[in-house]
Amino acid sequence: MALLTMTGMTKRFGNVVALDDVDFELEAGEVHALVGENGAGKSTLMKVLAGVQPPDEGATVLAGESVRFASVTEAQAHGVVMVYQELALVPSLSVAENLFLGSIPRLVDYRALYARARELLEQVELRIEPEQEVALLSIGEKQLVEIARALAREGRILVLDEPTAALSATETDRLFDIINKVKAQGVSVVYISHRLEEVFRIADRVTVLRDGRRVGTCTLAETSAEDIVRLMVGKAVRRYTRPQRQGAGELGRFQVGGGGLEPTTITLRAGEVVGLAGVIGSGRERVLPTAFGLHGTARWQGRPVRSPREAIRQGIVLVPSDRKTQGLVLALTVQENVSLATLERLQRLGFMQLAREREQALHWIERLSLRPPEPAKPVHELSGGNQQKVVIAKALATEPKVLLLDEPTRGVDVGARAELYDVIDDLSARGLGLLMSSSDTEELLGLSDHILVFRHGRVITELHPPFAYEEVVAHVTGAHQMA
Amino acid sequence: MSLARIRWREVLARFGLVMALAALVLILSLLSDRFLTSSNVINVLRQISINAIIAFGMTVVIIGRGIDLSVGSLLALTGVVGASLAVAGLPASVAIAGALALGTCMGVFNGAFVAYAGIAPFIVTLAGLTIFRGMALAITDGRPVSGLPPAFMTIGYGNFLGLPVPIWIMLGFLVLTHLILRYTALGRAVYAIGGNEEAARLSGIPVRRTILFTFAYSGLAASLAAMVLTGRLNSAQPSAGAMFELDAIAAVVVGGTSLFGGRGGVFGTLVGALIIGVINNGMNLLNVPSFYQQIVKGGVILAALLIERLAATRRA
Repeated sequence: MALLTMTGMTKRFGNVVALDDVDFELEAGEVHALVGENGAGKSTLMKVLAGVQPPDEGATVLAGESVRFASVTEAQAHGVVMVYQELALVPSLSVAENLFLGSIPRLVDYRALYARARELLEQVELRIEPEQEVALLSIGEKQLVEIARALAREGRILVLDEPTAALSATETDRLFDIINKVKAQGVSVVYISHRLEEVFRIADRVTVLRDGRRVGTCTLAETSAEDIVRLMVGKAVRRYTRPQRQGAGELGRFQVGGGGLEPTTITLRAGEVVGLAGVIGSGRERVLPTAFGLHGTARWQGRPVRSPREAIRQGIVLVPSDRKTQGLVLALTVQENVSLATLERLQRLGFMQLAREREQALHWIERLSLRPPEPAKPVHELSGGNQQKVVIAKALATEPKVLLLDEPTRGVDVGARAELYDVIDDLSARGLGLLMSSSDTEELLGLSDHILVFRHGRVITELHPPFAYEEVVAHVTGAHQMA
Repeated sequence: MSLARIRWREVLARFGLVMALAALVLILSLLSDRFLTSSNVINVLRQISINAIIAFGMTVVIIGRGIDLSVGSLLALTGVVGASLAVAGLPASVAIAGALALGTCMGVFNGAFVAYAGIAPFIVTLAGLTIFRGMALAITDGRPVSGLPPAFMTIGYGNFLGLPVPIWIMLGFLVLTHLILRYTALGRAVYAIGGNEEAARLSGIPVRRTILFTFAYSGLAASLAAMVLTGRLNSAQPSAGAMFELDAIAAVVVGGTSLFGGRGGVFGTLVGALIIGVINNGMNLLNVPSFYQQIVKGGVILAALLIERLAATRRA
């Protein structure tokens, strides 16, 4: 009998069905991979299991006992422990204190605490001192401390969410050794990943989710990577192509590198959208911030780009991936946000030319059909899609030659998304060069003239239209390299 | 259903401060018939002028999400330096210009540590607080500087169009600060950085230079206040200005500028300084012992922050 059986799991967020009648089974001592595209429902299913969110419908049976976890603590008491993608350690405390956080007795016997910590660290083969401050550890070491912490809580089921995203190859090997070891002790592991070659290396079975439904569970020994990709993508073969633009000249060349991204050259033509694909940790997510001078090293046309200021002066502008923390000043109005990158142009002798500023805002409000069309509206009162339009307006007001779009439709509803796609089409028609980084495959296929696929910090292939959805997913997940 | 209620909330958010001040004035004029006389009103305005000038500079720093604890000590330092220059025989205008330049430079000193070394403004200006005080005491050997030329008397006691000169200086600095904050690219950059420093940086705004400016401006404000105080006392004390930073911060926060940056303005600060000034003045007229006055003042600051907190929760 299975250690864990979830049946009929359903979870809705407003009108969106995140999980639709999903069944999931986990054997004792099994590594069970959970795969699917972004938004397929993997994380939601695991949040339901770990007590982070209660399901709307569905039943869970754990070791023959019917359970319903109302909180993370309750799930942990039953041995279900989630190891988060965003590491949940307190950096200023020691390794030992982190291992027993929440269960440290009122009077701390440090010697006993350290001795117990040392045992746990040995289990995950981590050769660090328990007295060491967590802030000084590498990301890989932190991940292992988290797993040790899960073991300290006597976890029977560990849920690992994209554990290798930030790990090096050797750290990944070590993680897999440890997964095999805890598995031999009878612990079950749910392994969420986008990387199929890892799934084949470490997992016994795989469950594939698509659009909130389970589309299959297979034993990996009897399955090929192509089969899994087919399940992830669906049966219908979708092909995408954009009308080809003729005679567009070369606009320039980016040379970017540093911080997990190998030196990479990207050539951009006027009127072209170059899509960047790859999972988190592939280096893809570093390309645009690097090209904008935020970290690493970047050159445009041979000239260094060392800061956003220099980038903007050279006609390069970024629409960042997180509009709330990087794009907008929420306390200011639409008009004031639109002019943030053009303050110098809108002033004379230091004084803002408020009439011109308002004109500029009105111009972009109309161009991008921003609603409501009120320049004096505080930007925090706008919907997500319209806030994103404000960020794009701010970027375009600098009259750039190159627009860097980082996850341009993240957290934007379907209607506004279509409008943003029209904007992107229009911009490329006007001769801008666009680099678009996205984890939404559909979006990359629909908008790109060609797609660069990143893995392990470099471009592994360049795809040209007509694109096949399966092919892109196969390259991104690494299934292609395994065939 | 909520139309009327939303309107009320907006009215309260925009005019709540002025209404609080009006209510205070009304209550005090009922309690004391000496309160609402023209001489007492002018008296209150002159009394708050020094705090208000410092607080206008502080407003700029706080909108940029900083804080400047060094202003009281800087007032003492620039006061004794300006006075010493005048006593040494330099023309009063040169001595005053020198003091204002010194105040600005010391502000740049604070700002450089914050903007370029990345040290928390609280710590940097706390260090400034003791350094500037120590310098003021060392220069004068702890003794007041007196024997000033008559120009300082004019600053402290002169009248222009029926109003004392300190009030004119306060109003002039109010207008200047308001112009900078609301009508220049620099002022806009201060709001942007206070509201979201990362977004400002990604927009190509020169973040460090702008932060440097806010502290320089606060230094200028402190030295300008020092000139007014020196004129009022007709001497410069190295021990002057102790705890002035707290009064200035109080005026800023009572005036509705958010300590979290990005929101607020200098007219609010004027009203904040007036509220504190009126409470002080009223309690004096009503013969409230000064020990109790301090308790009341602290209570007013807490009440103002509590109201801001409630308004912020409503917004979110």
